Formats: sequence, C-alpha cells, structure tokens
Amino acid sequence: MGVTIALAGNPNCGKTTMFNSLTGSIQRVGNWPGVTVEKKEGHLKGDKEIVIQDLPGIYSLSPYTLEEVVSRNYLINEKPDAILNIVDATNLERNLYLTTQLIEIGLPMVVALNMMDVVNKNGDKIDPKKLGEALGCQVVETSALKGTGCKEAAQLAAKKAQSGEKPVLPHVFRGTVEHAIAHIEESIQDKVDPQRLRWYAVKLFERDEKVQATLQLDEETRAHIEEHIAECEQELDDDAESIITNERYAYISRIIHTCYKKAKKPGSLSVSDKIDRVVTNKWAALPIFAAVMFVVYYVSVTTIGTIVTDFTNDTFVAAWIQEPLQNWLTGLGTAPWLVGLLCDGIVGGVGAVIGFIPQMVVLFFFLAILEDIGYMARVAFIMDRIFRKFGLSGKSFIPMLIGTGCGVPGVMASRTIESERDRRMTIITTTFIPCSAKMPIVALMAGAIFGGAWWVAPSAYFIGVAAIVISGIMLKKTKRFAGDPAPFVMELPAYHLPSGKNVLHSVWERAKSFFRKAGTIILLSSILIWFLSSFGVVDGAFVMVEDMNLSILAVVGTALAFLFVPLGFGSWQAAVATIMGLVAKEEVVGVFGVLFGISGDALELVESGAFNELAPIAAAFTLLGAFSFLVFNLLCAPCFAAIGAIKREMNNAKWTLFAVGYQCGFAYLCSLIIYQLGSLFTGGGFTVWTAVAFLGLAFLLYMLFRKNKYDENHLTVLKGVQA
Amino acid sequence: MLEFLSAHAVDLAVGAVVIALAVLATVKIVRDKKRGKNSCGGSCGGGCEGCPMHGKCH
Repeated sequence: MGVTIALAGNPNCGKTTMFNSLTGSIQRVGNWPGVTVEKKEGHLKGDKEIVIQDLPGIYSLSPYTLEEVVSRNYLINEKPDAILNIVDATNLERNLYLTTQLIEIGLPMVVALNMMDVVNKNGDKIDPKKLGEALGCQVVETSALKGTGCKEAAQLAAKKAQSGEKPVLPHVFRGTVEHAIAHIEESIQDKVDPQRLRWYAVKLFERDEKVQATLQLDEETRAHIEEHIAECEQELDDDAESIITNERYAYISRIIHTCYKKAKKPGSLSVSDKIDRVVTNKWAALPIFAAVMFVVYYVSVTTIGTIVTDFTNDTFVAAWIQEPLQNWLTGLGTAPWLVGLLCDGIVGGVGAVIGFIPQMVVLFFFLAILEDIGYMARVAFIMDRIFRKFGLSGKSFIPMLIGTGCGVPGVMASRTIESERDRRMTIITTTFIPCSAKMPIVALMAGAIFGGAWWVAPSAYFIGVAAIVISGIMLKKTKRFAGDPAPFVMELPAYHLPSGKNVLHSVWERAKSFFRKAGTIILLSSILIWFLSSFGVVDGAFVMVEDMNLSILAVVGTALAFLFVPLGFGSWQAAVATIMGLVAKEEVVGVFGVLFGISGDALELVESGAFNELAPIAAAFTLLGAFSFLVFNLLCAPCFAAIGAIKREMNNAKWTLFAVGYQCGFAYLCSLIIYQLGSLFTGGGFTVWTAVAFLGLAFLLYMLFRKNKYDENHLTVLKGVQA
Repeated sequence: MLEFLSAHAVDLAVGAVVIALAVLATVKIVRDKKRGKNSCGGSCGGGCEGCPMHGKCH
C-alpha cells in the first residue's frame, strides 16, 4: 500500500535538500527562505510505494501568508499518511514552534533534527531521545546536505504511517488556557475529525477566521466558545493569539532546558555574525554588494567568459560545425538554398545562442556560489533598507534574485508577498533584472560593439536595479500602489562553504534552459527568420533574393523600424531582432546570427576592432544607438513565457496589459532619453525628438520628486491642520 | 518522376532532415506546454498545477 509523507518545516531548514536527497530529484535549492512556493512530489529512492511531498517553508500554521495556507490546507484537507517535520537543529527554539502545532494535527509524525553536522561542529549537544519524549514523537538526527539519516527518517515515518502510530499530545498549555481549550474540544467533538480535535480547538481559541468559516458553528456554540476565550483573556490580560504563542514558547523553553546544551556562552559571536558585521554594515554593505556584483559580471562576461566564448564561436561553431557542414553539403551537390538554410539559418541562428553559453555558465557559477554560501540572503536584507526608502520591501528582492536565472520563476516567487499592491509592483518590476536569456544580448553588445569594454556587463545589472528603484518611487506615488511597504522579516542563514552538488545543479538547471530553447524555439525561429530573409517579391514574382534588403523580413522590419528611429536603432534588422526578442530573448542574438552571420569569422573581426569596415552589424548601430538598443531590450516587455507568468500571477487582463505597457513605455522613454540627449551632447543637432526626450526626462524627474499625496504621514499632518 | 528523384535525392534527404528537426522541435514545444512546463528549463513550474491552492488563492 502506498504511503504519502509530507515534509514540513520552517523556511530554509533544508526541506528541499532533503527532498532531493530522498527522491533523487533535482528541485531548486537556495540558501534563503522562500525557495519553494508550491508543493512538489517525488518517490523515495528504492521504494516507489513511498511518496514524498515537499511543502513550502512555514513558521506556523496561521492563515496569514499564502505558503502557510497552502501547507496547512494540504495537511488538514488532503491528509498525508505521515509528517516528516524537518527541524533546523541550529535554531531549535524557533523551529519547535511549528513542531508543537504539527503534533496537534494528530497525524503520525517523525522529527528530523537536521543540520546536526553543524551542531556537532559547534560543540553543542542535543539529546534526541529526551527531545522525542518531551514532544511525544520519535526524533532522528539528520544532515540533508551530507545525506545522513534522511532515508532512515523517511522510512521511520512510513513505518509509523503503516502502523497508524500517532504522536502523544504534549502538555503545551497550562492552567486556564488548557481548561478553555478542553471546553472548546468538548463543544466541537462531534463536528470535526477526532484526530484533529486539538488543532481545531486551538485554532478556534485563536479566533482563526478560516477555521471558523469552515466549521460553521451555530450561534450558541460560538457564544459558548467566545465566553471561555474572553475569560482566559481577562485572566491573563492578553489577547488569545498572543496567549497561545506565549504558552508554546514557554513549553519549548522548558523542554530545551532539559535536552539542549550550548557550547558557547550566550552572547558570543559566531563566524557568521562576525562576517555579517562587515557585509551588512550600515555604510559598507552597499559598496561591498556593488563591488561583488561588478566583479561577478565583469569576470563572467568580459574576461574568463569571453575567452571560452571566443573558442565556442570561432572554433566550435564556425570552424568545427559550420564550415565542414557547408563543404560537405556543397560536395554532395546540395542545392545552395538548402545549404544556406542549414548553415546560415539553423547553425547560424542556433550557434549564435549556443556560443554564449560558456559566458552564461561562468556567470551562473558565481551567482550559484553567492546564493549557496548565504550571501544573497544578506543582499535581500541590505536591499530592504534601500528598497524601503523607495516604497518597496526587501521581500521584492527575492523574486528579483530568482529572476536573474529566469523571469518566469522570478514572477512566480512574488507569491510570497502578502500585500497585493506590493506584489503587483514586484511582478511589474521583477523582469527589469537581466535574466540569463538577456545576457547574450549584453555579451554580444559588450564584445562586438563596445570592444569588450569593462563597464558594459556590470552596467546591465545596475541598470536593472536602477529601473526597479525608479519605478518603485514613481509607482508608490500613485493611488493604486500607495501605502507603506510590507514589513520584511527574514532569517539570515548561517554562512557555509558552497556545496559542489548544489552549485553544479544550479548551473546545470540554468544552462539547460539555453539548450532546451536552442533546440526548440530558437531552431524554429531561425528557420523562419532565414526563410523570411531569403525570399521576397521582386518584379511581382516570389523569388529567392540575393540582396536581403529585398526580402519579406526587410519589408516587415522596415515597416516597424520607424518606431525605433528616435531610439537610434532604426534599421530593419534591429527592429526584427527586438520584436523576435518577445519569442525568447536569446532570439535577439539568434536573429543577428542569421542576418549578420555573427557566429563565424565576422565576430572575430568585430572583436578585433575592425568592425567599422568589415562587420555588417556595425552598419546597423552607432555606439550610442547600440547602448540604447541594449537598454531597450533589457527593460522592455519580457518573453512570451514571462508575460504568461505575469498574466497568471496578476490573474487580471487589465493589470497584465498595464504591466507590459509600463515595461515597454518605461524602456522606450529611457532609451529615447539616452540616445537623444547623448546625441545632443556628443555633437548631434537639436531635433523634435530631442525636445520630446527633454519632456520625457522632465516627466520622470517630476514623478520621482513630486510630493506623495498618498503618504500616510503626510495625510496625518493634513488631517491635523483641518482639525 | 524517377529522374527527378535521382536528380534531387540529396536535396530531398537534406530537406527531410530539416523538416524532421522542425517537426521534433514543434512536438517538443507542444508537449512541454501540455505538461505545464515552460521554456525556462522546466524546473520553474510555470503555473499552479500541482499546487493544493490551484484556482483558489488568486
């Protein structure tokens, strides 16, 4: 008979690592809270009968956050056969708060005391036997990172499920509180599942509205229950929810006293604390963050990454694939148009994207290390201080962090934000951070147009952050987004050395998307682009054209190019690349691959600095126009997959349209200002578009610095004056 | 007919390979979409499928 075991625990206690260890799965793991926002299922390695269910990390079973609602609905309504409660042993007190609630659900349960390797290393001592006796369920020592004890814990949970052995309810509540809860239990015992009687009674004591609505108790019972709660509140001089919280922590404090011995004196600083004193320092935090990100992007895109990319582009794609394939097909007597389709279309387009994978891999490698050691969690904390000043919460940084890999999970990660207006604002701004698919555009522009300038790649990241901050300030001053940012409480995980497995998995997951897209959407788009750029109507006849300017693509591109003329990239090729970027951002490079043949010798010429005379791509851009093109493609609407994610998360067509419209409008305005004012200050004349750019800049400055009439402090002052 | 086939055998073979690649790519995209996978590598979910709050929370 199959058994379902739910993994439940606090955020960042190692649930997903344990899930991966138990199932052999490769779900995303992150050293910051909030990585899992939906449940994931897998089978125990070596025993397909045991199903492991990974739940989002939660601090309690209260109904305040979406993760908590998801987890508790699953545990209460779908009734797994057993719970494997993962407890971060380095942070026992806070983690046991959830444990005391999970026990009340009445399901067979095993506690996995995770990160015991760290506890032992610190010299601390935990007695699992005594802890188990106090909690009323079995406790197993584990280290999900090292894979020790995990399978034993899961098998024990399965055994408990099969035998139906339930935990013995510990005496968490005392005196009047226990008395009131017992009375509530009596009142509802015929209305709820007997297994969950204690859980429902405690929730009713806390006046949990969702539970009240579910049970639909009659007026008399409700009044009776309320009487007991009110009596208790009066006696303890506190509200019901706080009473329960205090009782739980008092109980935890009692049991910890008997089974936990800390090696270090209270108040002494750990290594993580000492590092945090520097990296989260009020003044040094931001410069350190800027320096770290600068080095990561500079090294990835400009130095090490370029060396490997040069090899992939010039040798692997051009010399080892494109040229031999062309010679072989020509030798076989293949029609020239078919040779063109395969070599220039498919290999040129797909090769242009694949050529940038090495740079991306180096970037992903550094980002994965920063995530795994725990630095990125600190960045969320650092950014909270800055974001808060501009109306955004540090919680918004987590989606942006995930968005550096792909905008789709980035947008989905906004679910952890409770405030609807903050969530919408985060969804709108998250894709401003350059995702991995946008990085080939940055790498192409940095290498081909800017001759490998050191500042181009890091500036792409900081342009994204600046766009988020500017949008945050502007939108927060509008009625729809006004209000104080949601409070941001986040536990900073202890620093640890990066796990090779986690880092390589993260790099592979991100790189895989390039290969997946190269073999599917980029391949199809390359065929389409090649076809549209190779055929056209000449003298009324549909023929293959030698001059690409006579092709269908040129006609369509030229019709659209007028939109981008004020932005400095009004060639039909750039227009087509930008529009095709909506299919997948890598396609921008793919289009150039087909239209300019940049994956071959041309790129070498471009990178050698001879692009002015030799590379056709140079004819399409000026330096200023190229930068404007880069900014527009970084900030405008993301690919269709990410737009779909925005639509799902907004769940509203109007908000989706607003998000996409805002992103495109903001990108257009920024590019217009950069190109027009840049042209003016570098010797270009004053045109109508220069005036429009000045007006746009004035509008941006007005939106940034105008008084926020929806600011609550401001309103308080106004009300005071009126009174 | 046979003359045409023998004269264009290479083109037909290469053309068949191109068509096969395009068909495989299309099938993969359609299949991934049906499975709720996105183009971002598949691990990022891409929807509420598998979520116990599917259709309820937003």
